[in-house]
Amino acid sequence: MYRDSKRMIRISATLALPAFLLVAGSAFAHSESGVTGGLVSGLLHPVLGFDHLVAMVAVGLWGAQLEKPAIWLLPITFPMVMAVGALVGLAGLPMPGVEYGIAASAIVLGAAVAGDFKPPLALAAIVVAAFGVFHGHAHGSEIPQAANPLAYGVGFVLSTGLLHLSGILIGLLLKWPWGSIVVRACGVVVAGVGAIALATTTGLLA
Amino acid sequence: MKKLLLVIPGLVIAGPAAAHSVSARFGEIYSGMLHPVTTLVHLVPWIAMGLLAGCLGPKEARRALVGFPASVAAGALVAPMLPELPWVSFVNMCSFIALGVLVVVSRGISSTLFWTCLVVFGVSHGYANNDALLVGWGLARYVLGLTIAAYVVITLVSAVSTQLLGGQGWGRVAIRAVGSWIVAIGVVFSGYTLMAL
Repeated sequence: MYRDSKRMIRISATLALPAFLLVAGSAFAHSESGVTGGLVSGLLHPVLGFDHLVAMVAVGLWGAQLEKPAIWLLPITFPMVMAVGALVGLAGLPMPGVEYGIAASAIVLGAAVAGDFKPPLALAAIVVAAFGVFHGHAHGSEIPQAANPLAYGVGFVLSTGLLHLSGILIGLLLKWPWGSIVVRACGVVVAGVGAIALATTTGLLA
Repeated sequence: MKKLLLVIPGLVIAGPAAAHSVSARFGEIYSGMLHPVTTLVHLVPWIAMGLLAGCLGPKEARRALVGFPASVAAGALVAPMLPELPWVSFVNMCSFIALGVLVVVSRGISSTLFWTCLVVFGVSHGYANNDALLVGWGLARYVLGLTIAAYVVITLVSAVSTQLLGGQGWGRVAIRAVGSWIVAIGVVFSGYTLMAL
């Protein structure tokens, strides 16, 4: 029965796909404008900041090291808390030390991965969530300038999620004994990038 | 040989194909199809609805293939008879967060809750997709296109969702992660919209 139902859905999907392809045309007539620009700028925002990028990957790496349920709980917690940070940024409320917070997130998460630190799940979630606010604020403060705010939001959330996924995929190496060393080495790199970002922000590094 | 002889007269008498059915009064159908799928305000919650339908199992997903397009069609057909309801856009805004949260939870959701969301959000999105300039057959063609779009989105996404859940444990993790993304997008979008008021 279950198999028949699944087959029905598969057949429906197969039938629906050509219909979807047939109707797909250039959607120029719509009232929503700037979608492409907003989406692209949102997608690029977390990637172009190297400290953002490595910290996001580190969330996935740490989740992979902590295994279930952290492997899905951390990447699910992060975007939701990040959205709250984005709202704070969007509202124009200043958050002191955003850049320090982002750099610190890379250092702390990188160190946790490098040291294979396994705290209780709640503590790991709190750490990740706390840093999510800083990352969200940095993304959210750019929303008013976006070509399409909703598309920008979709872009930066997708990009963040895919970076978490990259970390989780690298974490698959943990299946092998040498994989653990590679993952921990990635943690060292992440912490190093965070340290450089912090030094640059404080003016220690020109 | 006989077949070839039959084909030749066919080719000789063939006139212009008139393949651009947009100019042959089918434009409203295409317009109805494209309106929701080219607007993230509608597309993202519809994807969430499809994921949720798949999470509840093939039986509910199969029913949703009929229920969701029907709700959207009902909303679009009722809209011209109603005055402008500004709060509908607020309901649609809530649909991001509500459906996203339900996808994150994904297990143990009652059928009643799912169907309430499906009908309420289906009708509200259908209402918001209404084209006030159309009446009569033009409106009917537009609603037909809209209904097809709803069917296509819910079918494709619920099929993917069902397929993912039928495999390894990673499927549910992936669906929950996408649910959290939808919640995050909803929070940002709602915040932006409310602050812009």
